[in-house]
Amino acid sequence: MKNILISGVSRGLGLEITKSLLKKENICVYGFSRAKTKEFEFLKEKNPEKLKWMSYDMSNISDIRNKIFKEFIGLKTPLHGFVNNAAISYDDIITNLNYEPLLKMYKINVFGPMMITKHVIRQFLLHNVKGSIVHVSSISAHTGYKGLAMYASSKGALEAFSKNSAREWGERGIRSNSLVAGFMETDMSSTLSVDQKNRIFKRTSMKVPTTKRSVSETIIFLLSESAESITGQNIHVDSGTI
Amino acid sequence: MKKILELINIVLENRDKVKLEEISESSDLRTDCGLDSLDLAELTVRIEAEYDIDIFEEGVITTIGEILNKLDLEKTDE
Ligand SMILES: NC(=O)c1ccc[n+]([C@@H]2O[C@H](COP(=O)([O-])OP(=O)(O)OC[C@H]3O[C@@H](n4cnc5c(N)ncnc54)[C@H](OP(=O)(O)O)[C@@H]3O)[C@@H](O)[C@H]2O)c1
Repeated sequence: MKNILISGVSRGLGLEITKSLLKKENICVYGFSRAKTKEFEFLKEKNPEKLKWMSYDMSNISDIRNKIFKEFIGLKTPLHGFVNNAAISYDDIITNLNYEPLLKMYKINVFGPMMITKHVIRQFLLHNVKGSIVHVSSISAHTGYKGLAMYASSKGALEAFSKNSAREWGERGIRSNSLVAGFMETDMSSTLSVDQKNRIFKRTSMKVPTTKRSVSETIIFLLSESAESITGQNIHVDSGTI
Repeated sequence: MKKILELINIVLENRDKVKLEEISESSDLRTDCGLDSLDLAELTVRIEAEYDIDIFEEGVITTIGEILNKLDLEKTDE
């Protein structure tokens, strides 16, 4: 049985990854988000054994070890993978930047995930597991978009953290990669106007949104042993933004 | 002390390193026990799972005696 921890499972990409993972044999998903959606609840009812869920707000950084690792997963349970998916977006132009929302975003997008990664690697070591970590990044960290500077900077931080995690723990067989996602149709992007969306699509080779399916299948591949030689990389799934 | 030796030997064994027959309070974790920084990370995790104390949380630890102090363990053979 492989146990995978996923943040932000209630909707969007996190829900899609969870659904696809549950179709596989011998997988147990430990997921958290602040709230549950109807769709997630339905998925959980269908998979009572393979899907465990806890309400957790990642901006609460001091309880991560106790709540997520000791109580929810349990130190005796070996962990095999972590998908750092939950994130929020603080969109504005830089001249309007405020510290409080910036700090809040960094807690959820960067500091919480870094502390979780600490305990994920510790759990890998405790059980002698060559685990795989995937951070969900964004194309905005590579191609500039007006209004996304703060959000993009949080993803850039994650990518650097992931690359260095790979280098530090590679000799123990622990892998870490960033999945650089293009624009997907989810709640996160729902506030963009049609015009804004079209401008984003125009910059891709395929001129269409990136599908959650393509992103989640690539994440599942990176978690698997088929990706055993892939680490420290930024893997772009972005409709060809070049 | 016995338990700590046992945990150190699990780490050494996982790394295909030679196991230790005995340790003393003054044994240096790196030079005498042969643990590198990543091995020490694994040892910390194993000690934490056993005693619920993160020995490296506040500062550097270099000897077995310092670990025993942190854990408030008797420095006997037990
Ligand atoms: N959508 C895009 O176009 C796009 C593009 C590139 C990259 N991405 C990245 O893809 C990932 C998934 O995004 P998405 O589009 O699926 O977003 P989404 O639809 O907004 O879903 C975000 C998920 O994260 C959870 N979450 C948010 N804040 C949380 C907190 N404080 N603690 C715990 N969970 C929290 C949410 O659940 P609750 O609200 O219940 O907590 C939800 O399950 C993110 O890393 C995002 O940056 C998205």
